[in-house]
Amino acid sequence: MESIIHNFVLPGQVLATSNSETDGGFLRGHGTYIEIVQDKESDNRHATKAWGNDQSNYNVVMQTDGDDASNQEDDNDTLKTGPQRLIASLAGTVQRVNKLISVIPTSSSVYTGQVGDLIIGRIIGVGGSRWKVSLTCSHNGSTREGQLPLSGVNLPGGVQRIRTSEDVLAMRSLYKEGDLVSCEVQNVQRDGTLILHTRSLRYGKLENGVLTTVPPGLVGRRKNHFCTIEGKVFEKEGANDMQIDDEEGGDVDVYLGLNGGIWIQRKIPSEWENTQGMDRDSRVPLAETLQKLRQRHASTRVSTLMRERIARVRNAVECLRLVQYQICPESIESVVRASLMADVRVGHMICPEWVVQLTEGTRQ
Amino acid sequence: MASLRRTDILSLIHLRSDGRRPNEIRHMTCHLGALPSTNCGSALPTSGCSGSALVSMGLTQVLCVVKGPCDVGRRSEELPDRATLEVIVRTTPFSPPGDRRVANPTTDRRLIEQSHLLQTALSASILLHLYPKSKITVTVMVLADDGGRLEAAINAATLALMDAGIPLKDMVCACSAGRWSAGGVDEIVVDLNRREIQAATGMSGGGGGTSDTIYLPVATMPQRGNVVLAQCESRLSGGAEAFGEVLDVAMKGCQMVMEIMAAAVRERGAGVWKAKEGKADVMLVE
Repeated sequence: MESIIHNFVLPGQVLATSNSETDGGFLRGHGTYIEIVQDKESDNRHATKAWGNDQSNYNVVMQTDGDDASNQEDDNDTLKTGPQRLIASLAGTVQRVNKLISVIPTSSSVYTGQVGDLIIGRIIGVGGSRWKVSLTCSHNGSTREGQLPLSGVNLPGGVQRIRTSEDVLAMRSLYKEGDLVSCEVQNVQRDGTLILHTRSLRYGKLENGVLTTVPPGLVGRRKNHFCTIEGKVFEKEGANDMQIDDEEGGDVDVYLGLNGGIWIQRKIPSEWENTQGMDRDSRVPLAETLQKLRQRHASTRVSTLMRERIARVRNAVECLRLVQYQICPESIESVVRASLMADVRVGHMICPEWVVQLTEGTRQ
Repeated sequence: MASLRRTDILSLIHLRSDGRRPNEIRHMTCHLGALPSTNCGSALPTSGCSGSALVSMGLTQVLCVVKGPCDVGRRSEELPDRATLEVIVRTTPFSPPGDRRVANPTTDRRLIEQSHLLQTALSASILLHLYPKSKITVTVMVLADDGGRLEAAINAATLALMDAGIPLKDMVCACSAGRWSAGGVDEIVVDLNRREIQAATGMSGGGGGTSDTIYLPVATMPQRGNVVLAQCESRLSGGAEAFGEVLDVAMKGCQMVMEIMAAAVRERGAGVWKAKEGKADVMLVE
């Protein structure tokens, strides 16, 4: 905890000063800006102010090589010639990679993308050979938008070719406005715009499940964001049979989008895959088989029991959000278990008194 | 024997009508993320809010909501090289009226003027050039007004912008200072409440005859020492020195405000970090 407070900066705090323009003591990263010092007088005043606050040990976090704090305090002459200054523009923690200094905002409501992140987003616009994806999963008034270019999706059937104008016209047949998609960040542009792609068979349209959204800060980065909560978690000890359909394995899939979108659906049963595999021609590509599986998932009714399980997982996530606890499969499972132990009905899980009680075990 | 009123007693021991010392600001509380942002809760968010803050300075309470940066609705509002900053200031029907009883919130000139002032103050700080062709909307709701709603609005807007993660040059902090003569003694005080503002603006021309009464809301960027906003409607017969004194006091007030705001942001940051690390305290929001 100590180090977190120590590295915390506010907009306007000086992160580093460099002595001359050619020095290049630092590189500007996200969440910072460079200011060229013009007036010696004002520079001095500013500098003493900034460094003066240093005594309260959080203000100035790091300086470029060669300038240590004592140096700065003692002779301001070096500063007078310093034409550049790196200043934070966001409230957050400082990250330094060699010369690159950036500020990672700790605001929980803001998602800052990184390459490779899983995103659960909603298509809000089609056009210009790209889809606009709302990262807040909302239809309108979305604040952050990602771009999903046509070249970033798999064509039906998994054929690999250059996209033609026919493909552009048929874009709505793939994803249309209002669809939910899971996708990955391919690239982060200079201005922070995210370029997405769904060019893996794991990504694509999401159907027949439940979406819930949480502050992005609660979803930590982990190895795998496609998690499964096994059916046995939902089974109470003692209760012998849970008349679960043989068709459905009883497992629940949870996709933890790093933008805060969380998608819950039933796990596609392995029997389906086998039946698909039976009539699977070796010539039929894997992409097509998976597509068929998805279609079957989308068109098959979810049994009542399964719905209850999905709802329970959804409310477990909601419980964790309400107590601001990190959302990961372990914490979800533990809340689900607690709710079953306490014999709480799904609808009652998000009553405040139950929220506190159910998350008690998790929080410790 | 004439009975002493409370205010008389206070003025005898050099305290102001609400018991503060002249250089003391009102009790200030800041709450970042007062409203759940868009990506919270249900799958059907109602507002496009990306950051919010609730600030109370004494009895004045202001809620600020920031939306954006998002697409500009109308093409004509779009700027090619920077973001459009839209500021809306509204009062709630239950907040006590200012000096007028009836005010239509959409046409009230005072609110429009304040939204313009807020806009100038904020555009000095927001790095608008980072979001070309987009729009940032700052909506301020005055929940309770005991004087100094402009200052509270500026502070709330800064915090809401920080909550939304919009890059700022520096925090914009606002505080007012005033000067009037009470009982023949000139007083310079910081962070005026409504009664004091009325005293400072109501009797124009000076109570003691020699001194000015000044009410001066000031917004600064405290870490750089820049003044981004200073509004004075009083007559200055005392000259620039009198003005300078008041401005200095106001700037000191801004520094105090900034410390409170910084502590609030830091606390919030630590809380968020804790949750990320998975060590959360019980905190039920909503």
